[in-house]
Amino acid sequence: MDKDFKYVGHTFPIHDAPQKVRGSLGYLSDIKLPDMLYAKLLLSPIAHALITRIDTSKAEALPGVMGVFTHLNTPSKTYSRYRIVPNQEFCLEDERLLTDKVRFAGDRVAVVVADSKEIAKQAIELIQVEYKALPVLSTPEKALQEQVTRIHPEGNLLHEYEYKLGEQLPLTEDCVVVETVTNTQKVHHAAMETHVCLADFDSSEKLTLWAACQGVFGVRTIVADLLELSYNKVRVIKVPMGGSFGGRQETILEPLTAFLAKELRRPVKLSLTREETIISTMTRPATTSRIRTKVTKEGFLAECSVDTVLDAGAYATSSIDNTYVMSKKICKLYRIPYYEHSGKTVYTNTPVAGGARGWGAPEIMTAIEIHMDEVAKRLGMDLIEFRLKNLVHPYDLDKTSQISLGNARVIDCLEKGAEAFGWGKRFKRETDQGRFRRGAGLACAAHKNGMYGGFPEHSTMTLKMNEDGSFILNTGLHELGCGTITSITQIAAEVLDIDPKYISTLEADTECGPYDFGSYGSRVTYICGACAYEVAQLIKKRILECASQILQKPIQYLEDKDGRVWVSGDEQHSISYRDIATTAKIKHNTDIVITHTYHGTSNPGAYAVHFAEVEVDTATGRVRVTDYLAAHDIGKAINPGMVEGQIQGGVQMGIGYALYEEIRVGKDGSILNSSLKNYHVLNAPDMPEVNILLIEQGGDEGPYGAKSIGEIAFVPVAAAVVNAVNNALGTSISNMPLTPEKILNALGVKKHAN
Amino acid sequence: MQIEFKVNGKEHNMNVQPTIRLIDLLREELGLTGTKEGCGEGECGSCTVIMNGKAVNSCLVLAPQIRGQEIFTIEALEQDGQLSKIQQSFINNSAVQCGYCTPGMLMSAKALLMVNSHPSAKEIKTAIAGNLCRCTGYNKIVQAIQEVAVGDQKLET
Repeated sequence: MDKDFKYVGHTFPIHDAPQKVRGSLGYLSDIKLPDMLYAKLLLSPIAHALITRIDTSKAEALPGVMGVFTHLNTPSKTYSRYRIVPNQEFCLEDERLLTDKVRFAGDRVAVVVADSKEIAKQAIELIQVEYKALPVLSTPEKALQEQVTRIHPEGNLLHEYEYKLGEQLPLTEDCVVVETVTNTQKVHHAAMETHVCLADFDSSEKLTLWAACQGVFGVRTIVADLLELSYNKVRVIKVPMGGSFGGRQETILEPLTAFLAKELRRPVKLSLTREETIISTMTRPATTSRIRTKVTKEGFLAECSVDTVLDAGAYATSSIDNTYVMSKKICKLYRIPYYEHSGKTVYTNTPVAGGARGWGAPEIMTAIEIHMDEVAKRLGMDLIEFRLKNLVHPYDLDKTSQISLGNARVIDCLEKGAEAFGWGKRFKRETDQGRFRRGAGLACAAHKNGMYGGFPEHSTMTLKMNEDGSFILNTGLHELGCGTITSITQIAAEVLDIDPKYISTLEADTECGPYDFGSYGSRVTYICGACAYEVAQLIKKRILECASQILQKPIQYLEDKDGRVWVSGDEQHSISYRDIATTAKIKHNTDIVITHTYHGTSNPGAYAVHFAEVEVDTATGRVRVTDYLAAHDIGKAINPGMVEGQIQGGVQMGIGYALYEEIRVGKDGSILNSSLKNYHVLNAPDMPEVNILLIEQGGDEGPYGAKSIGEIAFVPVAAAVVNAVNNALGTSISNMPLTPEKILNALGVKKHAN
Repeated sequence: MQIEFKVNGKEHNMNVQPTIRLIDLLREELGLTGTKEGCGEGECGSCTVIMNGKAVNSCLVLAPQIRGQEIFTIEALEQDGQLSKIQQSFINNSAVQCGYCTPGMLMSAKALLMVNSHPSAKEIKTAIAGNLCRCTGYNKIVQAIQEVAVGDQKLET
């Protein structure tokens, strides 16, 4: 970049860090309203059954119980928890508030609302339910083979697609064909705060929801339409949340909590335990991707054919889109003359899949990067050399969307990252012998910047100048813990040349704030950040116009610096923002305020290449990640400290994805590990030092050239770790997670084969 | 049952249910909501407080166990409106993201620093092994704890 910035590119702590270190920030679980009631769910203990009888009389008779609800006294209207805007495509309305047929162990059967948490819990125990069991379809294979049992009336195959791009060439002797199958598993988002929702319905017939969510307008459209309220009578306020990672993208608890508040005309809080959050909210989808490539002996990809099956779990939510986006990633990473992808989305009697950090990219990038290692091995070619022949170059067209990939710097990430990591010395050309074996793996990854090209993409903000020259930036943003508010404030501060402490950036509120789609799709920095940049430019122009009027100098002789407007070349002659704002208001009858809608018109790739070194204990099958380097094409890091934190956090989650984490479902659909006791999340001793290399070449339409980071940080991790394990052991494992059992089995198979 | 105990330097004499957990007593009865619940079974460490100089999961401690004990919560770290060095270090090192694990993490760090003013990276990682964080990958948290200077480690009451 050709300019030193005052605020952009400098590290700032997350805006509410002082409250967070004091423990004084009010999360939803900390908030109590006067007269608030407590709700508790009854979840199905079995995976597939009709509810034949429910007796709630004993629960209702318990003193302190204010209401007991089942499918018998709640609306039967169905809805989609995924819908962001009305009339959205692929939002199957297959879910109701409380079900009459349970479709997974964890489905919502009943809810009790009581004066206290303890009474609600006691009352839940008193509800008697009789079930008529149905055959359990616990995997997509079973669900697709099944002829009679249908999880939903439409059948178990929820959706399928197929498309082909480019021209298929005849198979010649100069080509090799390689096929791999990669399985990825259901994973718990494991945000440290469990799911919780608070709703109130007041005497003005207005519903208020305090939501720890990623999109308040999505919540509003679902809840208002379900409860038949006009949108002006539903206020959704974004509140602080203890992590999200996609697990709060869909509207999970809000419809039911809103219904309860409306029925009882009291504030109602519904809080889930960790176990309830693991089994009954959302999971990362399990996928199987069969990849077949035809590659010339010189190492150029000629064709790539992918067949994906995605396990949606018991309800559709976002799974159709999730399957579809898996077909949109590989051509952002590699130049492939002929590409075809078919996908199936399948209902099963398992926990519900939905949005999860990276949205399809981690699943398909894991599959393609394991595949690329296999192809290189088959060709006898160096892993890096093979990839360099095929990676996209800056300003290539994305074959699937026909949109420019922008200043795609994945080759820089690979070359510079390999050098910084010392790849040549770490990668094992000969497998170690002995008990502890080391190996190195790398993986490239591509993701996106917003939703342009497949979905509407815009964001609106209002920037107001106060009488003292400070600013309020009103937005539809959702802080998930990534530092969004801070980075957006830095962008506006840079434009206005004013200390960020004089700009307050507000989060989303459907009643008081402007519209935005929400915090997902890697769109916040790129799209909302660009909106902040433009609205600040517009208000700066207005400020200069006012200063011109006050100082009686033409605008071209004025410049802004350090919260003042100066007459060019005259160091004595300036006016403060405060005097401009006040004078404009009093003397010129002018309010300095701008509302601006930014429309996204590009969607460049976000790129990363990660390098992992592992040590495998061949006696126990345990893997330790001993060193790690993450190279990222980020365009421009607005807040480097937070960017590093995003990457390191992505690596933590990704190592877990590769090695440990899985929500295991038994053949009968029961959840085998529904607690953090037996669902292992990486802790500090498990975690390697993550070295970071940022490639900051700008060149796209994001603010100051910035691109996305939160999702892409997770995308390559699992493949890098899996490839490292395979390098250490000389294996070809592609069935995640790489548990000790799977590693020992692979070693056993290898030994046997030898 | 009647119990006497001390929280953040203040004596309490309360009549409580013997089955009440320390976390509920702190959050519900004393309004000290800085202590967070993440799992309710001692696995995530969000509810860590210091009891008699040791970091404990307050979700696993029942009322009878705190009789006569001295407890410190996150609310005790700030003294006279001044953040403690460990709190400031978390801010300076970008070690705070969503912030939900932060109070528990700080209390585990504090308990370590009270007995070991020069911990190694390995000792720090062991001390916070029971505190899960899903945002940061721990690197910056370990760095923040390492950077804290000696001399601020005794919890004054």
